[in-house]
Amino acid sequence: MVPIPAAGLTGPLAHTPPPAAVAPLDPGQVPHLAAGQLHELHAESRGWASALLFALRTMAQTAKTGGQGHAAPLLLVRPHGSARGMSCDLPGNAPYGEGLAMMGIDPARLLIVETSSPADLLRAAHEGARCAALGGVVVETWGELRDYDLVASRRLVLAAEVSGVPVAMLRGQARPRPSAAHTRWQVATAASAPVTSLHQPLTARLPGPAAITLALLRQRGGPAGLSWHLEWNEDHARFDLARPMSPIPARKPLFGAVMAGTVVSLSALRKDMARRNAA
Amino acid sequence: MERKGQALRLAAIGPAALRAGLMAGMTLADARARCPALRTAPHDRLADARLLDQVAAGMARFTPRVAVDGVDGLLLDITGCGHLFAGDDALARLAVEQAALAGLSMRLALAPHAAGARALVRHAPPGPLLQDGAAVRAAIARLPIAALEAGEEALRGLSRAGLRHLGDLAARPMAGLAARFGEEVVTALRAIMGEGGSPVVPRPTVRPIRAVARFAHPIARTSDVLEVIEDLLEEVARQMEARQLGGRRFTIMLERSDHARRRLAVDTSQPQRDSAPVMRLMRERIETLADPLDPGFGFDAIHLAVPRTGPLPARQNRLDGEGREEDSIAALIDRLSTRLGEGAVLRLYPRNTHLPEKAQGLRPALHHGPAQGWAMPAQPRPLMLLEPPQPIAAVAGVPDGPPQRFTWRGNTHDIARAEGPERIAAEWWRQPLGHLPDYRAPTRDYYRVEDRAGQRFWVFRHGLFDEQAHPRWYLHGLFP
Repeated sequence: MVPIPAAGLTGPLAHTPPPAAVAPLDPGQVPHLAAGQLHELHAESRGWASALLFALRTMAQTAKTGGQGHAAPLLLVRPHGSARGMSCDLPGNAPYGEGLAMMGIDPARLLIVETSSPADLLRAAHEGARCAALGGVVVETWGELRDYDLVASRRLVLAAEVSGVPVAMLRGQARPRPSAAHTRWQVATAASAPVTSLHQPLTARLPGPAAITLALLRQRGGPAGLSWHLEWNEDHARFDLARPMSPIPARKPLFGAVMAGTVVSLSALRKDMARRNAA
Repeated sequence: MERKGQALRLAAIGPAALRAGLMAGMTLADARARCPALRTAPHDRLADARLLDQVAAGMARFTPRVAVDGVDGLLLDITGCGHLFAGDDALARLAVEQAALAGLSMRLALAPHAAGARALVRHAPPGPLLQDGAAVRAAIARLPIAALEAGEEALRGLSRAGLRHLGDLAARPMAGLAARFGEEVVTALRAIMGEGGSPVVPRPTVRPIRAVARFAHPIARTSDVLEVIEDLLEEVARQMEARQLGGRRFTIMLERSDHARRRLAVDTSQPQRDSAPVMRLMRERIETLADPLDPGFGFDAIHLAVPRTGPLPARQNRLDGEGREEDSIAALIDRLSTRLGEGAVLRLYPRNTHLPEKAQGLRPALHHGPAQGWAMPAQPRPLMLLEPPQPIAAVAGVPDGPPQRFTWRGNTHDIARAEGPERIAAEWWRQPLGHLPDYRAPTRDYYRVEDRAGQRFWVFRHGLFDEQAHPRWYLHGLFP
């Protein structure tokens, strides 16, 4: 009989607990969406493509590779065009494969789930958050989405903590509400930088690479109110800092004087609970 | 019709053509001369063979031993099967009805051995179905010598010797016949007369993978039903393991005590043999039923079948659990497809066209793996496409230039910068009439524009100015 070293079973086979605390975001670095956490990205219809790109691109970059060297698939859960209660400002919109390919996201990695009710949407998101083989879950939601409450978001967090999959909820036409999310962002497009070229007169009126502004509304265990101005780097197919912004306290709040939604304080880890939920 | 040598000949004819005096084997020119209104179609031997095979599979209800004979015959070994259908003639009647379902008419003959039945059906004159042993023997004795299906030369020799029927031959010593006309004549004769062996080689039947549980007392609780299904799954797993198969579709039929039947089915994206994932899908399926599983007075029997399978070699699990991630994605696709329908879990795939809205498609992830062949576009493409394109009211500075301002859904966007045009012509080669010199489908001029607030759009003008007097503008996509 081959003796099995005791450490062998406690090592790679054992359940690896999620990191006790995710390091707060550094205003001098391009922000990322921490793995194994739930993130909320608020965007209006005009910033929707930017929010989608930021979520997918960050996840595509940080995702581990799958079993046979393939990049881990990304799950995109979205309401079906005719889904009730989730009508959006962008009629008939759909992710476009060639556009994704241009932005360095292999369209073959994308798994699209179309749901017809808010309950199905959240259930599909939860299934995705439990699946450790995914590189990330992006959920497109429109409207207030009553079903997405503290309980639903906490369920997503627990599932994500166990599987280590980042989950991003894209919230369109919705006011921030209390939730268990790790971070909450406001994403908007920004005017692109002028194209610098030797042929200045010819290129002066061309739109430049994509530019977005990110405002960190809430961050669990870290300062909020940071903001970033990111610019698309076409050579490396990633976002770079356009000009680093230090925390700007004078920045106009995005949702009136008082933030309507607060991140409720929850114990960061309840391992037994997380395991039970995943079982 | 089919081509034989240099000429087109009729391969088979319908009843109307037979009445008109046509025959199979006639040249097409001949046939057309006799019957100008003749309608012909190319002969498809493969389709015929496939149809015959299907009919043969259907005949398996009468006997497990069914053989395909030539291109148009079936041999059924009904030894000991007749009493199940109240007699051989009743069985024969049912077989004719079954063939009629496939749109076929057929001739039948019964004989104590296969070669005799075959000779009777192909060479005896039409008449009632004979069952009595003596009558059959007499009918075989009356068969023409052509029933031997020997070579041309042997048949000519036999008829020259004045031998017309098999009975004439059978009365003579075999040794002399073999010496004069060849061994094959005697072999065929002995087979038809039932003296030699005439084995039936049945077509191979693939045993369906299924299992059934019947209960002495009806069961009613859903948890009991699920437990039984789990046992059945383990049973079919053993059947599939022996054949190195995995199931792609599992169907359950619940037989209620009042004979109502309930069917459930789950599909998997990968061939599956383990019972645990299939059980999860079954639970999911039962949970999402619009009307719950109504047991009534209980279920009498539960059938499990695996109608669709795929190859699944035995595999050794690795200790470190590697290689399970792909499976896990497949399991996720299965679960979501079971809950939301297979049309809800989709993958993008590229299509070979340059019209932006047709350059990609969505197909169920349950049946298709990740698509290959995505090309990096040469021109900017949006991250999101609006389909159908949204009509906008646009004002352009110069007729052929980019818009300066456009209004969409009540919001006016002042264009600060623009790039383009990228001209995409309509696909005239896909139009039903092809290219017409005096008609041109509108060409699109695509612009990538940015408004003063920094939002980037993909707009196009539908039609050039020399094609249309007032071309319309559309918003087709959004850039990040």
